[in-house]
Amino acid sequence: MTAGREIGRPILEIDGVSLAFGGVVALQGVSFDVREHEIRAIIGPNGAGKSSMLNVINGVYHPQQGTVAFKGRKRRNVDPHEAAQQGIARTFQNIALFRGMTVLDNIMTGRNLKMKSNFLQQAVYWGAAKREELEHRAKAEAVIDFLEIQHIRKTPVGRLPYGLQKRVELARALAAEPELLLLDEPMAGMNLEEKQDMSRFVLDVNDQMGTSIVLIEHDMSVVMDLSDRVVVLDYGRKIADGTPDEVRNDRGVIDAYLGVAH
Amino acid sequence: MTEQPDTFPRLLLQQARLRPARPAFREKDLGIWQTWTWAQVADEVRILACGLAALGFERGDRLAVIGDNRPRLYWAMMAAQALGGVPVPLYQDAVAVEMAFVLQDADVGFAVVEDQEQVDKLLEVLPQCPRLKHICFDDPRGLRHYRQTELTGFEDLRAAGREFARRSPGFFAGELEKGRPSDVAVILYTSGTTGHPKGVSQTHAAMIQTARVLVAFDGFVDKDEILCYLPMAWVGDFLYSYAQMHVAGLCLNCPESPDTVMTDLREIGPTYYFGPPRVYESILTQVMIRIEDAGWIKRRMFHGFMAVAKRAGMGILEGKSGIPLKDRLLYRLGEILVYGPLKNVLGMSRVRVAYTGGEAIGPDLFDFYRSIGINLKQLYGMTETCVTVCMHASGDVKLETVGPPMPGVEVRIADSGEVLVRSPGLMKEYHKRPDATREAIDAEGFFHTGDAGYFDAGGHLKIIDRAKDVGRLADGTLFAPKYLENKLKFFPYIKEAVCFGHGRDKVCAFINIDMAAIGNWAERRNLPYTGYADLASQSAVLDLVRECVEKANRDLAQDSTLANSQIQRFLVLHKELEADDGELTRTRKVRRRHIADKYAVLVDALYSDRTSCFVETQMRFEDGRSGTVSADLRIVEAKTFGAAAARKAA
Amino acid sequence: MQFFFEVLIGGLLAGVMYSLVALGFVLIYKASGVFNFAQGAMVFFAALTTVGFISMGAPFWLAVALALLAMVALAFFTERVVLRPLVNQPQITLFMATIGLAFFIEGIAQLTWGANVHALDLGIADEPIEWLIGNTGMNISKFDLVASGIAAALVAVLAVFFNKTRTGRALRAVADDHQAALAVGISLQRIWVIVWMVAGFVALVTGLLWGARNGVQFALTFLALKALPVLILGGFESIAGAIVGGLIVGASEKLAEVYIGPHVGGGIESWFPYVLALAFLLVRPEGLFGERRIDRV
Repeated sequence: MTAGREIGRPILEIDGVSLAFGGVVALQGVSFDVREHEIRAIIGPNGAGKSSMLNVINGVYHPQQGTVAFKGRKRRNVDPHEAAQQGIARTFQNIALFRGMTVLDNIMTGRNLKMKSNFLQQAVYWGAAKREELEHRAKAEAVIDFLEIQHIRKTPVGRLPYGLQKRVELARALAAEPELLLLDEPMAGMNLEEKQDMSRFVLDVNDQMGTSIVLIEHDMSVVMDLSDRVVVLDYGRKIADGTPDEVRNDRGVIDAYLGVAH
Repeated sequence: MTEQPDTFPRLLLQQARLRPARPAFREKDLGIWQTWTWAQVADEVRILACGLAALGFERGDRLAVIGDNRPRLYWAMMAAQALGGVPVPLYQDAVAVEMAFVLQDADVGFAVVEDQEQVDKLLEVLPQCPRLKHICFDDPRGLRHYRQTELTGFEDLRAAGREFARRSPGFFAGELEKGRPSDVAVILYTSGTTGHPKGVSQTHAAMIQTARVLVAFDGFVDKDEILCYLPMAWVGDFLYSYAQMHVAGLCLNCPESPDTVMTDLREIGPTYYFGPPRVYESILTQVMIRIEDAGWIKRRMFHGFMAVAKRAGMGILEGKSGIPLKDRLLYRLGEILVYGPLKNVLGMSRVRVAYTGGEAIGPDLFDFYRSIGINLKQLYGMTETCVTVCMHASGDVKLETVGPPMPGVEVRIADSGEVLVRSPGLMKEYHKRPDATREAIDAEGFFHTGDAGYFDAGGHLKIIDRAKDVGRLADGTLFAPKYLENKLKFFPYIKEAVCFGHGRDKVCAFINIDMAAIGNWAERRNLPYTGYADLASQSAVLDLVRECVEKANRDLAQDSTLANSQIQRFLVLHKELEADDGELTRTRKVRRRHIADKYAVLVDALYSDRTSCFVETQMRFEDGRSGTVSADLRIVEAKTFGAAAARKAA
Repeated sequence: MQFFFEVLIGGLLAGVMYSLVALGFVLIYKASGVFNFAQGAMVFFAALTTVGFISMGAPFWLAVALALLAMVALAFFTERVVLRPLVNQPQITLFMATIGLAFFIEGIAQLTWGANVHALDLGIADEPIEWLIGNTGMNISKFDLVASGIAAALVAVLAVFFNKTRTGRALRAVADDHQAALAVGISLQRIWVIVWMVAGFVALVTGLLWGARNGVQFALTFLALKALPVLILGGFESIAGAIVGGLIVGASEKLAEVYIGPHVGGGIESWFPYVLALAFLLVRPEGLFGERRIDRV
């Protein structure tokens, strides 16, 4: 674990990314960066291209133009599981957990990438495979402790209330010890108390694990409280970029975004 | 060394000598149960005590302890006692302001707390508590950027302790020598019904003697296990967990988190267990929900064998003879198929004794646990008496009573009906409240409990009400409204009841039906209804309620003290009693006097010979509008029983 | 009564063999949602390959190892040539593809090894256990008993593999939610290869046991049809269901043959399981252990 909140060099650089589905333009020449240990928010009205941006970052979509560089390395057309291997973990707007599996098993899948034993060793569940399993179980338990979900460790995810499922999804992402964490509306559909809990967890993750975070969120007060810098998208274009205060007072944002939203 | 240790630190050292390698504490951390032996605990306490001394903790200082049940917090209490200081455990869910009062009142200079949440609260009230100089925290999470000089991490405290112990090796033993059994061992704050909480000062002698009585009473040994999950600030935890573990050498298990108690219970399988009635109730509710969700085979099996348990289980538990062989065999089978697995799920397979107390427990609830073979017993007591006034002995358990007085405890009933107690476990005083102390403990040394009760023929104490609420009927016999109301409320169909009778010739009652239970009952019988008022006025419902009341009367008739309190006339109110309408307190207790005034017309009608009464009431609807409801209420006569007739019927 | 038990036990042991076939289906269906029509062909292919190597003079274990290698190769081939090009196609397309695959495997097998019936000797005699006849009078085949033991061991190994290992967990994850599995870094292609490999391994065990019993012949491919009622009874997604379903089918068809058969002219063993499955479909369409699907709108 790297300690600290000292914001460092850019870890992710998006340069001139454009994405279209058939004739529909989702992103158009978007550029911004995310620095080490930073919490970066992406905001914008519905359909502004926020989720598309996240999907580009973790390789679900491949942009037609522009480049994405992670840890200084430009990459083209990686698949989601390759992005995960490089250290990018994410949560989804509509929770994508393994509903039939327990919370612990879900979190353990997050550690899959870190496990090295080969298929044959696992087939006989012997020696290295068993030792490794226990080692990673300890790591998963640390995440469980961190997010305070001990009481549901053995509960199948499908039976949990929505707010807790969101937390389990965060846990699974954290279990991979990512360097960059993508959160797609982590607080959507939560009540005030759950939102406060989740905000606390996001800050703790950032603070204690030093993880860089890209966050999409609709709740403006949450965005302004949590993030270091904010990117504003509208109709697939970037219309503003800066600290929460700068963005809040930006004429263009007020007109285009806040105006449109209401 | 035949002399028994007489302070808690000496008890700890004795246990560390007698059974150094046996487990003393367990705590589930990162999914694994961690164990500390008695020898390790003694060492930890020594280091902590030295650490506190290094911070300047001195004889007589007070140490606040705030957090969930954690081994380190228990050790901190012990460390304070070892230095001749006094631990003051606080309720961990209290808000900052409430904490400020206790911190000031007890002159607290040091605090050991669990985590950031508690640290934040203490930092908030720091300006009001100038004596509070040191706050030590167990879990550093989120506290990395806190720069307050008052804060010390647990590891830093231990490091300081080790250094201190190295420089003055004889210090700890020396301090231990100075301890006296008459020293105050703990100050426990009781939340009185009115005004500020009062600090109850209990000495080492009182707590240890009481614990010894309890350990002997139910035969606890060092192989026993308990899960501590009730607040550390509550006298019960101090006595049942802390005091008993040090006397008996048993093992204390700390749950992983407050939410995991049920799982932890199952994993530990404690041998004795304490819970207030509401805990037993919520466990039973969970069981019932699971059963209703289960497949039909399981459901049928459960209900079938529960019927057997109801018939035969309690007799078998109490070792009675005269139970038919068939039932004995069926019960044995049920143990394998249903009760055993059920107890396993509840984490009660190994429970030898389970206690409950604090308030009346419902008969269904009590019978359920006893019939599946859990030795559930009631007890009576309060913070001021180290709990332990009365307790059921195994094999002599009655639902209605709290058992006979414990060995060494004198119980007297005052003329007013109030229960008076004199015992070795009596508190030394209310902290800084000589006036209150004088008021509570009389010249003869009896503590006035404020509860009204009496002894039944078997020598069991029966608590019926708060002394100030108990009245007299016109013929001079005892009238205990809350007792009657509780009796009625134990019927699932009755939600609330209000009894009248003080200064009158007979007892009458208002009743609120339980909308969910009776609504369900009505649906099963295809009785149409439009709402509460409609349902409450149907004659089938009134008959149902009358049966409940008569059943209660039959019970009352068997009790010579309360036979005259049988409910002769009642009516079912046309609306539910609501806190919004001022009829209940916010904690949902009935405000009897207010209701009597508001519905004076109805009370008068009950005590006349009319058979119905018209009433009109202002009420607030759920959407915030207010309006009036009116109804013509029927007054129902209920059968009453002579003592002899009741016996025949029973 | 003794006769009843003899029939029942004989049926249950036969049922274990059905369970094995069904198991291969369940594994693939769970992980990829594909109903693999080629499972029967794989059983045939595996058995024939083993026998073929033996007839070429290879010792038994070497032949089995080579056959296993062939199954692994088949798994890679299937993933690369059949599954990968058809990603995101409707299930029916994939199902049709597996029918094609079945013909292909059958063809390859016969092309390579010929179409004759081969005997396969595992060294376990198909004869009654003397001890049992002496003590209880029941006539139970030693072979059936050993075969059941092997099947039980296989299931135990699979259970540990699925529940305790990383790959097992990944398999369950993929079965649960593809998108989420991708996001935690699970490669779908790798998982598909593994699952087909495991199914191939199960097919090999099944083929050896069935082949030793009935001879290695083209009729083995029809086993796939016998697995259908087992799957309907047990549910398509449950390993436990495949086992219990197999036992029910085995026991009921034998009992029906003995007790109902004479009244309707006999020969009902071959179709009774289908009637049973049909009746079951009406009562519990998701199978005994299947996941009830609640479609939320």
